[in-house]
Amino acid sequence: MSRSFTTVKPGLQTCVQELPGRIGFLEQGFPFSGPFDAWSFRQANLLVGNDRDAAALECQFVGPSLKLDTDCLIAISGADMRPKLDGEAVPMWTTVAVRAGQELVLGAAMTGARAYIAISGGVATEPVLGSRAVFHQAGVGGHALVAGQVVPLGDNGNAGGVFTIPEDKRPVFSKDKCWTIEALKGPNDDWLSEETVKTFFSAEWKVQAKSSRTGIRLTGPEFGFSKRALNKNADHGHDPSNIIDHGYPLGAVNLAGQTPIILVHDSPSTGGFINPFTVASAALWKLGQVKPNEVLKFRSIDRAEAGALRAEIDRSTQVGVLDRV
Amino acid sequence: MLYDALRFFPGGDRAIEVELGDEMDFTINFIVHKLVAAVRDAKFEAVVDLIPELASFQITYDPDIMSYEDLCREVEGIYAGLGRGATGSLPSRLITIPVLYFDDETAACIADYRKTYPEKTPDPELVCELNHLPDRAALQRAHAGTEYWVAALGFWPGLCSLLALHPGARIIAPKYNPPRTHTPKGAVGIGGALTCIYPDATPGGYQLIGHTPAPTYDGAQRLPDFKDSLALFRAGDRVRFAPVGLEEYEDIKARVAEGSYRHDIIDYQVFSVDRYLDWAKAQGAEG
Repeated sequence: MSRSFTTVKPGLQTCVQELPGRIGFLEQGFPFSGPFDAWSFRQANLLVGNDRDAAALECQFVGPSLKLDTDCLIAISGADMRPKLDGEAVPMWTTVAVRAGQELVLGAAMTGARAYIAISGGVATEPVLGSRAVFHQAGVGGHALVAGQVVPLGDNGNAGGVFTIPEDKRPVFSKDKCWTIEALKGPNDDWLSEETVKTFFSAEWKVQAKSSRTGIRLTGPEFGFSKRALNKNADHGHDPSNIIDHGYPLGAVNLAGQTPIILVHDSPSTGGFINPFTVASAALWKLGQVKPNEVLKFRSIDRAEAGALRAEIDRSTQVGVLDRV
Repeated sequence: MLYDALRFFPGGDRAIEVELGDEMDFTINFIVHKLVAAVRDAKFEAVVDLIPELASFQITYDPDIMSYEDLCREVEGIYAGLGRGATGSLPSRLITIPVLYFDDETAACIADYRKTYPEKTPDPELVCELNHLPDRAALQRAHAGTEYWVAALGFWPGLCSLLALHPGARIIAPKYNPPRTHTPKGAVGIGGALTCIYPDATPGGYQLIGHTPAPTYDGAQRLPDFKDSLALFRAGDRVRFAPVGLEEYEDIKARVAEGSYRHDIIDYQVFSVDRYLDWAKAQGAEG
């Protein structure tokens, strides 16, 4: 019998995501995509016995209602959307056994912005360009779920016991609407005045409502530029923030005129604006949990510290962290 | 200008920007592609993805396999081994794109923007003015009168950056400020010294001068020319724009809709960089 779930209500934007994302097609303009908060995503997969990178669901702001068509294990992590199974509250960060026909309902996010639902066997949609990760805006790998959509699941391979993630291994969400985001200088910090580079790391940056998987827009102090931006070859363009089209790193703080936009998983791969700073890869998960009107403060770190933060998250997303319930 | 040496800039802990020069120029772009191909051929386990661009390229890498410093050194070594300058030949497809210049769809898009920004000169007139072209007919002749080099792809799946290969055909235009929130799929635009074809309805900033009914991106891989790839162009292809009238434009649209349209792709040519550069120099001397 084929395994699947049926979408009863799609939620605000529920997409299949997978790691490492769509690799090898940036040069044709396809972004990596993949889960915005890979930390929560991987822990959900571990809880149901999947490979930590297996395809699972990312739910944005308001979660979906799903009817499971098969017996399976599920786990919910990330933003707290008050998940219920047939009307009864179920715990997050914990394996939940589900019988065929039961309905899982997620509501609006209480804390954080994105919840993850992993299902034993993983989601088994057709990979596009080597990945099941969905780039919703361009419809690559599919779109967000729609009501009535039946989504195939993989074999129930490793599914077994009931586990939980100890609290000290889970990602810590901000409780005061203010997030500290670790970032590195470069590639184009030399296009800004020294004063502005300092200001960037001391100011408070408010997240605009127009923020999504294609970019987090920020409001904050004005940017000042250096000679490199003000006195340049005309091929770079007219605005001080223009540069000859170049590659955009994942996590780059892109400056279009005076609006900084953090480039995230579904952002453009290239373009003609400078990227003075780049968010550390180990801090990208936080951007997936930030809500509009919350505040970001950037902390300057170097590559060595970025490496230590990466290692810490990697240790927290291994099978060994699971506690048997 | 091609820099004397590569310039490396870290893009966080997983990316490196490598700059080769600071011009939109065929020679620099060709060397970018040559170096990116050599880096790809070296098959570093740490290299995750590569993006060749106009005068630079980006490496996404795994810093737990190779450090930033070591990878920069490796790339420098490969560059030193390549020899200087642009030379050699490569297979290069020639793709002809039918264009209805100054069509109604892009005209409506321009008019819509001017409702909010009435001071904006309509795109075709602005481009004529800045490039000393007397009228739209002259702009169309100049734009369709050269082959273009696919210098890079990016920003959106299948979006191409095209550089005019005829040195006398360089048309320049500023980008919209602020950008448009909507551009029709298939619009042909000029920004800086580049031409692009919008593969999908997206925001945009290039000055619009026409529209092609022939898709350059097909996410559903419905048309036969997209059976191996979702995007039509590859870097190193050449493109020519063929002006069409309304009747042919509508006919192509209908054939795209029924799924029978075939692109005009010549796949048997080899592009000699040396002969091209000699030719371009001679053209420049005449011009």
